[in-house]
Amino acid sequence: MRLRPGPRQRWAALPRGLRDLAPAEAARHLRVVGRLRATFRAWGYREVLTPALEYLETLVHGGGPGIQDRLFKVVGRRGELLALRPDLTVSIARLAATRLLPDAAGPLRLAYVAPVYREQEEGRGRLREFTQAGVERLGEDGVDADAEVIALAVEALRRAGIARPVVTVGHIGFLDDALGALPPETRDALVARLYRKQFAGIEATVPHRHLGAFLRELPLLQGGDALAAARAVVRTERGEAALAGLEALLGRLEEHGVGEAVAVDLSIIRDFSYYTGVVFEGYGAGSGYPLLGGGRYDGLLAAFGTPAPATGFALGVDRVVALVADGEEELDVLIAWAGPTARASALRLARGLRETGAAVIAEPGRSWEETLDRAGREGARWVMWVDGDGARVRRLRGDGPAVERRVPVAGAADVVAAADAHQVAAGPEVGAWSH
Amino acid sequence: MEPLTLAIPTGRLFPEAVALLQRLRLLDAPPPERALVLPGPEGGRILVAKPLDILTYVEHGAADAGIVGQDLLLEQEADVYELADLGFGACRAVVAVPAGREALLAGSAPLRVATRYPRVTARFFEQARRPVEVIVLHGALELAPQVGLADAIVDLVMTGRTLRANRLVEVAEVFRSTARLVVNRVSLRLKAPGVRALLEAVAPAVQAT
Repeated sequence: MRLRPGPRQRWAALPRGLRDLAPAEAARHLRVVGRLRATFRAWGYREVLTPALEYLETLVHGGGPGIQDRLFKVVGRRGELLALRPDLTVSIARLAATRLLPDAAGPLRLAYVAPVYREQEEGRGRLREFTQAGVERLGEDGVDADAEVIALAVEALRRAGIARPVVTVGHIGFLDDALGALPPETRDALVARLYRKQFAGIEATVPHRHLGAFLRELPLLQGGDALAAARAVVRTERGEAALAGLEALLGRLEEHGVGEAVAVDLSIIRDFSYYTGVVFEGYGAGSGYPLLGGGRYDGLLAAFGTPAPATGFALGVDRVVALVADGEEELDVLIAWAGPTARASALRLARGLRETGAAVIAEPGRSWEETLDRAGREGARWVMWVDGDGARVRRLRGDGPAVERRVPVAGAADVVAAADAHQVAAGPEVGAWSH
Repeated sequence: MEPLTLAIPTGRLFPEAVALLQRLRLLDAPPPERALVLPGPEGGRILVAKPLDILTYVEHGAADAGIVGQDLLLEQEADVYELADLGFGACRAVVAVPAGREALLAGSAPLRVATRYPRVTARFFEQARRPVEVIVLHGALELAPQVGLADAIVDLVMTGRTLRANRLVEVAEVFRSTARLVVNRVSLRLKAPGVRALLEAVAPAVQAT
């Protein structure tokens, strides 16, 4: 890449943590988004759109006062404070509690893909605008709802292109309970420590030796051992219910066919304060940050006026895109016409191909050779040269035998359809069009 | 078991970090301090980085684990798991003022404090309800009061010799620090067996020091 010395004026620059996506990057991004949307739809989750700006009160009411310092704020004309959403969960809770749930006959399954905005510290390489894709399942309690959302989280990561995702599952109620018997100051200090993930020396801060030893081991307690070890420190029915719930959840996740991708992790503490039950995070090899996070938040809808249980997750699209290898190119066919007499039939050919869902460029050309070069640079799978009533058709990329034919223009689309149908029958690769 | 990438700091903690890795058989010979990446056993790697950069490597996952002074953990507030106290590299951060001006801290005159720990310093004085103006410096802090840049400093002391040589007096302790083992939050899940082995190896080696 060549870096040009550019003008140093601010109007030519982007603010820190914001970026443009040029066509190739945008295509990568949108490919992942497309797969996520298709996955959410396949599970019956319907997409909603909410505004990027909300009242500051709305976001703080839902996200807790700790969120304030991370919001971008806007002052309206009459002095009212608005802010850009830092996630979609609060906005969707507002929408559902005030409009959708009161009229809904049953539970709601909602999905979203949208940019969110958070102030970040300088020099940490964090984006201030990034895209979240996620689901919310509203109005339903219980292990089946939790299991479905977590299974969908695993599936979404896989479909997005993460080969072997891992989702770890914990429960807020368990830690609440394990620490519940401690004096308030001790507990607050301990919770602050857990938020900072400061486990060295943690045993010295609790009066009970076995609780201290347990907390020290907590970050490494994963899988079945974790539940057994946790039973030893649980004292109340609520804590026991949390552990029993986790155990049942693991069973359900086996039935969903995602058991091998899921592990217990009782040390998970999410950054948002609205979580009340099962919490989880998703990871993929190659990223130092979680790719998704979510959990149960049974209090949030009540805060907006319609008490209802809820669970969901948000996936960081930009983090996933960074991990997913470059996929197939987007352009299916490049058509060039030899002169004004060939133009109408070339444009008709392009219309026909586009109707089948293909991505097509149609443009005037000078020669077959130059058109081949153009098609190569555009990454087209097929190239067509239309001169008069005939078309020269060649496949540039794709599996199977090489194809090059001279056919009447009206038959050009059939050449592509036949070859791609053959390819679909022969191999496991994607459908007739590559996206 | 997947091999780990471990980041160790140059400078004050370097000799003892290397000695620890040698005891754990993760390193054969002491490396030159300007080495950047060393091969570890079974495909693992050792990164040698500036102390200030260790937490950045670990937070982003460029290193799975790292050795870092607790002072930097307190200052940088990186999102990493702090799993073990390694025991070595003990030091204290203190507030020091020129000899004879010990009453400054208790007074209410505006106080300028030079430090390389701006966040910790701001938090400390906030809790003490003492308004101060924090000035960030990166070395030779004892110079600041002598030339009128600051009224006080917050800095690490090991023996107290530097303070005495510059006619500075400790008036309060801000924190104590030792070297810590930190782990990336994703490595902790995806490379759990390796992290567990490292922690178990570290525990007895630390107690022996």
